[in-house]
Amino acid sequence: MTTLIKLEILRTLRNKRYLLFTVLYPALLYVFFISAYGSQGTVADGVSVKSYFMVSMATFGAVGAVLTGSAQRISLERKSGWTRQLRLTALPGRAYTVGKIASCAVTTLPAIAVVFAIGAIEGVKLDALQWAGLGAALWLGSFVFAALGVALGYAAQPDAVQPVVMIVYMLMALFGGTWFPVGDSLQKFARFNPVYDYNQLAAFIHPGHGISTFSIAALAAFLALFTAAAAFLYRKDAQQA
Amino acid sequence: MGTGTGEVAAFRNVSKSYGRVKAVSGLDLVLRPGETVALLGPNGAGKSSSLDLLLGLREPDSGTVELFGGAPREAITGGRVGAMLQSGGLMSDVRVRELVALACAVHPKGHRPAEVLESAGITEIADRRVDKLSGGQEQRVRFALAIAGANDLIVLDEPTTGMDVSVRRQFWAAMRAQADAGRTVLFATHYLEEADSIADRVLVLHKGRLIADGSSAEIKARAGARRIGFELHPSDGGAFDEAVLRALPGTVGLDVSARADGVRTVRIRSTDADAGVAALYKAGLYPRGLEVTSLGLEQAFLTITGEQDEHDEQDHDVEESAR
Repeated sequence: MTTLIKLEILRTLRNKRYLLFTVLYPALLYVFFISAYGSQGTVADGVSVKSYFMVSMATFGAVGAVLTGSAQRISLERKSGWTRQLRLTALPGRAYTVGKIASCAVTTLPAIAVVFAIGAIEGVKLDALQWAGLGAALWLGSFVFAALGVALGYAAQPDAVQPVVMIVYMLMALFGGTWFPVGDSLQKFARFNPVYDYNQLAAFIHPGHGISTFSIAALAAFLALFTAAAAFLYRKDAQQA
Repeated sequence: MGTGTGEVAAFRNVSKSYGRVKAVSGLDLVLRPGETVALLGPNGAGKSSSLDLLLGLREPDSGTVELFGGAPREAITGGRVGAMLQSGGLMSDVRVRELVALACAVHPKGHRPAEVLESAGITEIADRRVDKLSGGQEQRVRFALAIAGANDLIVLDEPTTGMDVSVRRQFWAAMRAQADAGRTVLFATHYLEEADSIADRVLVLHKGRLIADGSSAEIKARAGARRIGFELHPSDGGAFDEAVLRALPGTVGLDVSARADGVRTVRIRSTDADAGVAALYKAGLYPRGLEVTSLGLEQAFLTITGEQDEHDEQDHDVEESAR
């Protein structure tokens, strides 16, 4: 199984288009937001533009990396028959999905790191513990979306998977505080949006914010839900072969 | 279970439908160790469905499928089966060598990747990216995945599709090498020449049913599969009588054409060409330019499936009139 996981990671890192999209795109957006809002500006609650968008673009990049990396590839590889071929090996069925999630988890790291680096250059000041904690929170939180990506990969047909992923991704980002803070009126609905919870989880670095236990609980619930859905859809797919 | 005895694979009264289409219908079949078996049938005959059932990729609606006396999945996890599917995709963004190494690593009795590359004849393309291969090269990579370990059974679904003639011949040699190593080989094919020259047992599947099972020679014999050709010249004397030719033992088909000079060309399709020729001389005829040729498996195959279709139509008519 480790051979498969290693190869999955290697091929993901080799795919230049994928890396360009997942790593450079959020970084460019971050630079764009800083200049659009003005580098000295603040968003709601007096949080600086630089640190607000550093977090939201890191989550944006991480979610994008895992969603496209898992959903799109799984759907395409179901069509090409690679998943069937793998079922003719002694590998357990879960090895394939574990490999996909592992390769996603590896690619989220550069996506997060590049945005962090730009943030640090732009003058976001955090202590070492905060940097490490933020990186860990973002990385761990991305597994929730990897599970969602696996579920979408088994649910959507290959020709539909790209729009489905983009719509889910954009809607979650739009109402999840990625491009602008969620207003008071929408907040009670936003709690049911995993991207909002993900952004909230990472908000502890902003002055006046603590670690949100609600976000952790909500993300854990989403992880359980998405994993169950992915397992169900995987079994259904295996029966149809 | 060793080689020589026992069952490699067994279908027992297996049926499988997709919606209203009956893909496999009451299939009974046992494969024995060391056999090289060709599975023939027109498109939609149920070849791929049967292989899917054999490999446990699908569950039968009724009946049982066993590999090495157990469930197909157990045989696969035990490293006893290697398979190359028509619909089996390959991983993209990796090199051929890496993919083969993966297959060797996950196989419980995996060979060394270099050996597998050599056996499949893909050493020269080992450093190519999988997504940059031609159809025939892809087929050979799939074959490499099927022989990545010490399997007892190798299942190949239309392995030579997309290969040109010379590559196909090389591929047959690789297949034969697997059979010579004592492995049971089951392959589905469209190319009857392939079945004729490699398989020691031929199965003909038609509309989900097994309609013939035997050696290639037996299948040909069943179809009346030798042709006797000769000319009869008027100068040799004797009156021409078609009834005499028709009465020759083993005759199942007769075709006579006459030229202006009175020379008749005769073609007889016969299930017993030896007796037919002997009887020809006994009848006092003098066949000139006598030729006895094999009809080939292709003709035999068409004859058998055609007969089956006629038979089905008659059954259908009986059913219709009974209503």
